[in-house]
Amino acid sequence: MTPNGALAVAFVLIALSMSGPGPRGTALLLVLTLAFAIIELRGATLIALRRAAVVVLPLGVFMGLVWIGIVGRAPAEIDATGTRAAALVYVAGICGRLFFIVAVIQLVFLRFAQLTPLQFVGALALPVGVKRMLVVTLSLIETLRHAIDRAHTALIAAGTLTRSPSWRNLIHAWRLIQAVWLSAVTIVLGRMRDKWPVENTLALLDRTLAGGNPKWLLGDDRIWLPIALGAAVVILLADRIPGAS
Amino acid sequence: MARHELISGPNFSGRSGALMALLRDGKFAAETFYIGPYSEAALSGLSSTIADEIEIYRAKPARFGRAVFLPLGFAALGRREPQTLSGGEQVLLALHCFSLSHYEAIAIDSALEQLDPVHRNAALDYLAPREEAVGNVALIDNRLPPPLAGWNCSERVADTDAFDCDPGRLVADLAPRRAPTIAVSGLHFEYGDQKSIFRAVDLTLDGGQAYRVAGPNGAGKTTLLKLLVGVLAPKAGTLTFGGEPYRPWRQGNRAIALATQNPDHQWCGATLGDDLARRRSAFARHVHPEYLSDTRMAQLAAALGVLSLDAHLYELPLAARKRLSWLWPLSGALPWAMFDEPSVGQDMQTRIQLAAAIARLATLGYGVLFVTHDDDFAARIPHRVLALGDKQVKAA
Repeated sequence: MTPNGALAVAFVLIALSMSGPGPRGTALLLVLTLAFAIIELRGATLIALRRAAVVVLPLGVFMGLVWIGIVGRAPAEIDATGTRAAALVYVAGICGRLFFIVAVIQLVFLRFAQLTPLQFVGALALPVGVKRMLVVTLSLIETLRHAIDRAHTALIAAGTLTRSPSWRNLIHAWRLIQAVWLSAVTIVLGRMRDKWPVENTLALLDRTLAGGNPKWLLGDDRIWLPIALGAAVVILLADRIPGAS
Repeated sequence: MARHELISGPNFSGRSGALMALLRDGKFAAETFYIGPYSEAALSGLSSTIADEIEIYRAKPARFGRAVFLPLGFAALGRREPQTLSGGEQVLLALHCFSLSHYEAIAIDSALEQLDPVHRNAALDYLAPREEAVGNVALIDNRLPPPLAGWNCSERVADTDAFDCDPGRLVADLAPRRAPTIAVSGLHFEYGDQKSIFRAVDLTLDGGQAYRVAGPNGAGKTTLLKLLVGVLAPKAGTLTFGGEPYRPWRQGNRAIALATQNPDHQWCGATLGDDLARRRSAFARHVHPEYLSDTRMAQLAAALGVLSLDAHLYELPLAARKRLSWLWPLSGALPWAMFDEPSVGQDMQTRIQLAAAIARLATLGYGVLFVTHDDDFAARIPHRVLALGDKQVKAA
């Protein structure tokens, strides 16, 4: 399978989840996704699910606290007499969909874990400008991680935070955020002021990405793409068949 | 014949500006590979792995053959994030990328000062003028005194007394104190990628003594400092401070003032005043308030060339930020002071003054740890060596 084929399948799966399928459609979508995951990734599927859970859990806790705990009803019934059960369904719906999207994206990345990020982006059948934007976006994530590491070092050494969880960390979290942004801006400016203009580094990146030799519709792409498109039709129609719940 | 330019002179004499002017006039080279003083200007910042960093610079074929500079086994490290390399290793990676690239020139601003003696000599030898030169080279290096055979040396003169600095004034009036002993037992540490750094390390560090942490690039010198300060937590082992159990990663640092290799890893506020206020608040229970008063700190900062507590840290020149990073450990607020490559980027006179200040700190009874690859600087501080290697720390 090629990165392009995997991304196309992922796009179809995510689009289907956003189309609001009914119970039958949802069940079919989950079966299709699970089949894709198990056949293409096997054991790594669990890693994708775990990462998706880690991403969605904080949002789920926060939404649950607000909508189920404090508001006590779903947004659709905000003016009426609502129930916590409806709020639970609302929160579960949003978090479930987000979990699905993150898990599918993780599946694609894990499927190509043997490629470096630059090789993965280089293999995509996209214009060089778009690929450059992807790489620069990824580099911003790296920059933020670097800035977090710097700020963490500074604040722990200065006795403001502790490495282990503590009340002190909660109280001074905003200082960490401020230090991270100051660090990130300094790192980016350092690069953009000296390194990149002197070297013309971005032009070099374009050259790297242009040489990525993207491939399209090879190997398992030819199996999974027709399956995904066929399943899409079935999923979209499944809950319109008379007698469906 | 390739050009070799060595730009020398004291700090704030405009060396970095002169280097940039040289690169921008287009006569030195159409495009130049650049290695700045710290990681944000050493590596491209566009890659998530070492393999990708190398790939970017290999994209355009070299117009002429050049020997490949391969000081470390980067192929085996390909999946690692460049930012997880030590400062010196990042410089070596940048030099490796240059050796594979199409650039016909390279400019290095103070970065070679971060290399251990073996790698520094290898790098200088690689860049040296010879018949089969690697290309045009422009270099700023505080430890290379001109004249240098084969190099066109331009000596710059400081035309301003801004940021005038005398670290000795910070410690001149400090009262003696006896820093408690730090004892490390059975220390084990490895990073998430399972690269084991320390295994069953036992170590006793006495107050009133300066220790030089020595070892090749990537041996774990900065890691040791981070463990003692609590930025990292050991996988196993115990620490005691003055005989009492000490877990800075859990309880918070309350004993050690750290000056980081890159000064920007140290600030916890936007202005010097913010930074000091936060330290004052964090150490209120452990430090006498007099040590941290605005009046005293303003006087000490002025001795390092920064005349106002309202100075925005990130807007100061890099050399001034580096000097200001010594303020906290030299203030005497905490019994232990640790300096990670304190002399990098500093001219000879400042290095001599700083060494004297650090030596005095130890004489007064403070505990001092310093990391440096600069033997001349270290020789000015009476010290014992903590040699890192083979996952051990051995006191010599």
